[in-house]
Amino acid sequence: MTAPKGVAAHQPSGAKTAGFGMEVLVGYILLTGVLLSVALITIGVAWSWLATGHLGLEYSIAGMTLFRFVLADLRQIFSGAFRPRLFVDMGIAALMLTPYVRVFASMFYFAIVERNFKYTVFTGFVFTVLTYSLFLR
Amino acid sequence: MVTMSFELVFLVSIVAGLIGAMSGMGGGIVLIPALTLLGLDIKHAIAISIVSVVATSSGAASAYVRDRIINLKLGMFLEMFTIIGALAGATITVVVSAQGPLFIVFGLVLLASLVTLFLRRHEDWKPVAHQDAFSGWLELEGSYDDQATGQTVYYHGARAYFGGPLMFGAGLIAGLLGIGAGALKVLIIDLAMGLPPKVSTTTSNLIIGITALAGTSIYLAAGLIDPGLAAPVILGVVAGAFIGTRLLVRLTNEKVRRFFMVVLAVLGIEMILRGVGVIP
Repeated sequence: MTAPKGVAAHQPSGAKTAGFGMEVLVGYILLTGVLLSVALITIGVAWSWLATGHLGLEYSIAGMTLFRFVLADLRQIFSGAFRPRLFVDMGIAALMLTPYVRVFASMFYFAIVERNFKYTVFTGFVFTVLTYSLFLR
Repeated sequence: MVTMSFELVFLVSIVAGLIGAMSGMGGGIVLIPALTLLGLDIKHAIAISIVSVVATSSGAASAYVRDRIINLKLGMFLEMFTIIGALAGATITVVVSAQGPLFIVFGLVLLASLVTLFLRRHEDWKPVAHQDAFSGWLELEGSYDDQATGQTVYYHGARAYFGGPLMFGAGLIAGLLGIGAGALKVLIIDLAMGLPPKVSTTTSNLIIGITALAGTSIYLAAGLIDPGLAAPVILGVVAGAFIGTRLLVRLTNEKVRRFFMVVLAVLGIEMILRGVGVIP
């Protein structure tokens, strides 16, 4: 997918579209998150394969919020307990944080750069509901 | 704890991602029936699928956003409704103990998607003549450069007071069944709000990511997401979607559409029969 090049952006009179900065920001947040997630999971799967000679990890986790999930990952990172499972878990956490960070960045952008009160409130609402469902249960 | 062959799950996920990207309907709609056929119970299949939906929609949306086709304001307005729907839908799936109804609802959604695909054969779009005051207040307008014709298309959205609440329903189905429910979202943005097909398809992709995340949070908290099983599914679906997007250019739309309609019909009927108990 290539961006249209050499096409001047003509805007109709009175049209207010989100700025160029916002689109680039959102695009890169999403792309980085997905690539990071896939890379981490691949490392975990490959490591486990090299270590055991068996493709695939078999484990499940108890029910928990994303906050606890991320916290458990961080604790393992800081204690140096690197193992294949940790990479797979970090990959899943990175994936789940991607749209979340996207909403946060959008809220910030609408509030600071665009100074669009309406959409700051809208994205703020989405961010609050997501925060509640991901962290505060 | 569910034990399944990594290779098999990975392969099935690649196919699901491939078909999902080529049909524009996302991977979940093929992935979930396939995983249940492999012996996974439908609740785990739904939970795993919705994680992979976050990956494919974010991947696709990242390209569309940079192409400046997605309407971010439209997406952010509609997200308010879909996330509430998704949280409600996922909670229902977690709480309900019977699996039969899930199979039946899934089968019905598959058949409804088939009808949608049939009805959307012709992509004509009539610009909105009069924008209502509410949609105007929401600043639902924009433009994009059509790469096929080389022209810049200007558009206005309408009936946001109708599209918003309808999106709650789309979110509910997405959370309930672990799918993107992209067909439904596109239909709402297209028909109810009068936006060009390109804008509705790409913006729906952006909304799907957030909607799926809301659903995922419920499934993660319920302990239904096995990372060991999620790993091959995420890798497979993303790989399949990547290949699918590139294959799409070489195949005619009509062939893809016919093939996918057959897939939807077979899986839809199969899921309903399983839900009713005719086949185990």
